[in-house]
Amino acid sequence: MSVKYGILTLLSVKQCHGYELKIELDSLLGLKGKINPGQIYTTLDRLIRDGFVTSPGMDGEDRRLYDIHIKGKEELNKWLIEPVAYSNTKEDFFFKWSCARKTNSELEKLMLTQQKELIVKEVMELTKLKTELILEGDERRYLLVTGTLLHLEADLTWINQVENRVG
Amino acid sequence: MIRVHNVTKEYMQGQEKIQVLKGVNLQINEGEFVAVMGPSGSGKSTLLQLIGGLDLPTSGDIQINQQSLQEMNEKKRTIFRRRHLGFVFQNYQLLPTLTVEENIAFPIHADGKIRKRNQRSITNLISEVGLKGFEKKRANLLSGGQQQRVAIARALVNHPSVLLADEPTGNLDRTIAEDILRLLLTFNRKHNQTIVMVTHDIFAAGFADRIILFRDGVIEKIISRKDEDYAKYMAHFMA
Ligand SMILES: Nc1ncnc2c1ncn2[C@@H]1O[C@H](COP(=O)(O)OP(=O)(O)OP(=O)(O)O)[C@@H](O)[C@H]1O
Ligand SMILES: [Mg+2]
Repeated sequence: MSVKYGILTLLSVKQCHGYELKIELDSLLGLKGKINPGQIYTTLDRLIRDGFVTSPGMDGEDRRLYDIHIKGKEELNKWLIEPVAYSNTKEDFFFKWSCARKTNSELEKLMLTQQKELIVKEVMELTKLKTELILEGDERRYLLVTGTLLHLEADLTWINQVENRVG
Repeated sequence: MIRVHNVTKEYMQGQEKIQVLKGVNLQINEGEFVAVMGPSGSGKSTLLQLIGGLDLPTSGDIQINQQSLQEMNEKKRTIFRRRHLGFVFQNYQLLPTLTVEENIAFPIHADGKIRKRNQRSITNLISEVGLKGFEKKRANLLSGGQQQRVAIARALVNHPSVLLADEPTGNLDRTIAEDILRLLLTFNRKHNQTIVMVTHDIFAAGFADRIILFRDGVIEKIISRKDEDYAKYMAHFMA
């Protein structure tokens, strides 16, 4: 899904050829890792079939260009303004915690301690990354990392609350 | 460079003598950004005050740039402090009836009047801390975050060797605190400003290169991200 809307986003800015799309998508998806080119071309085929994307022809170097169709723009805008549901990404963690708590309180404590260590490490490394992004002036990635850190802060606060209740 | 050698500090509380620092050894290099963390009452502020020459150790030695603070007489130490050390506190400690500009100029001329030859560097500093347009505003009319910006500018006006910050974000919410930390980081990286910052907050401490974990008057451990298991250690320390 992210590939589809990523392509529509990039084409809404300007016409691109396939390789350009790959480079820009990698940067747009950022932390999510690289996409394989095959996936981009199959998605493009589907977008053309559905009438979201057109191909106005070749560029000067004989590479196929792609452009967004008005229908594609509508599809993109509809998706963009749709709020994202909180699909509890930490479902695994909370389930594990519930199981640990049912099993015995020692395991629960240990489990929380381990999780806390992981959060602390993540906080330290992301904050380091954040300082680099500040100095590079990469505002978009800076704000993303800031968002992740705020989630980690909430998790840490929650664990501290549980631990204080466990006593 | 800061060198803290075998430093102890005792206070009298009523009839009782209490030892607040129990032998601290520490070296901080030029251009480092160091955070100090530790439980309340462990002696963090005391250590910062000693490094800043606001008070003297009971025993041991503190050197700033190879100059020993306790070997100076009172007057020399005051001059040295003004010239080489900058302080930022949790509660800003501005002079409320002076303007932004006058507060910042205060360490240069206590009368608050700004001489021509300093005007340019003060103007630059005001813009670096993001307070352009606020020069003539009285300090007590500013928000907390703005007051802390003034305090940072004031602390840096003499280009100190070391900036000492005691919980500079302690009174600020996360978003405003972030702005202040960004400012400190920028001075550290762009001007190689040495910073020692006391904080309770790992989200602030993470801005630093090294973190000193302080407990019960001694350094328990100095943490850097390169160390194996540092996160384990910090998580336990915080518990
Ligand atoms: N001037 C003083 N006279 C007597 N006792 C003092 C003085 N200054 C500090 N103390 C005591 O020294 C101990 C350490 O104080 P300090 O302010 O250095 O702690 P801290 O680590 O900064 O704590 P916090 O996190 O609460 O700011 C405390 O027990 C305090 O009461
Ligand atoms: Mg203190």
